[in-house]
Amino acid sequence: MKIIVAGGRVEADYVINSFKESNHTITIINPDKDYASYLASRHERPVFAGDPTKIYVLEEAEINNADIFLALSDDDTDNYIMCMTAKTVFGIKKVVAIVRNPNNVKTFKDLGIDRVINATNLLVTHIGNDTALTNLTRTISIDEDEKVVVVEIAINDDFPFIDQEIKDIKLPNRINVSCIFRDPVVIIPHGETKIKKGDKLLIVTSQDGKDDVNKFFEKRL
Amino acid sequence: MKRDKFVVIGCGRFGGQVATERSEEKLDVIVIDEDESSFRKLHDNFGGFKQVGDATQLDILKQGKIEEALNVLIATNRDNVNILIANICDKIFGVPNIYIRLMDTEKEALIESKNIHAIYPYKLSLKSFSEQFNQDDEQDVLS
Repeated sequence: MKIIVAGGRVEADYVINSFKESNHTITIINPDKDYASYLASRHERPVFAGDPTKIYVLEEAEINNADIFLALSDDDTDNYIMCMTAKTVFGIKKVVAIVRNPNNVKTFKDLGIDRVINATNLLVTHIGNDTALTNLTRTISIDEDEKVVVVEIAINDDFPFIDQEIKDIKLPNRINVSCIFRDPVVIIPHGETKIKKGDKLLIVTSQDGKDDVNKFFEKRL
Repeated sequence: MKRDKFVVIGCGRFGGQVATERSEEKLDVIVIDEDESSFRKLHDNFGGFKQVGDATQLDILKQGKIEEALNVLIATNRDNVNILIANICDKIFGVPNIYIRLMDTEKEALIESKNIHAIYPYKLSLKSFSEQFNQDDEQDVLS
């Protein structure tokens, strides 16, 4: 694949290094003359010193047949401009921008940039996933030693198995849904029972079984 | 929602003057600029609303009543910022008439929408120069 690395300092250096071992063709464009020659000395790749938000610079770097364009500068607006130029003027299929301001992730995606990456946004998503799971499953112990536990799984909007039959979701061995609480009724399910949005699945199991259940749902959410 | 507002983004000499004139015409004008001190370029007659903030941010644009805008003039001192804001106004807020000042004529390709109208000082200077130059020429011939 041909990859264009535009702008950025340590980010550009790191990205180029990571791709080095692979067979990718890399072209580097950097507006800072000194940093451009530093990158040229460190990596044996073509380096163009110039402002990548300018069409003539991208032309000179012959980006037209690239597969991916990466915009790594520290200015969100400039990253938007170079990505849109790469896409609309040079027809590059996949344009990726990093942004400092997390609010720009959605805006830039709405305006047509394929991938917009922001550290704060990733952090929130990461933490969100962790807490989503803990909110979703609740364990109730029956005895003091916690040998018998009940795992409760709340089926919310983005749950993957909505309207599927229990036999089709392929739970791990020895794990059965003991009971479905579908307000106001309690259902003792069989294989053909369909899971509905808003259901609470109750699984009676052991401590080891609880870990299996958690792992199973963790992988699928 | 009724669209009747005139929003000016970037209160430089040009933006400030347009905002003042539209306000004198009794239009409902909102001026947005990152730097509060730039509002001094507005004339005393300006009766509109001033909004301080970065107009590439949707919440600032909303506070500047972009959702009620019929017209927006974008004239900050950076082309790239102007283009980003123009596309936000067009694609996210659907503003019917968007006027944008651009120094670099090459960047035309990034604002291809029937709702975006570009103003190029470069083209205007060139035109003004050739008009005056040709006029001087004629005078030389006459005298």
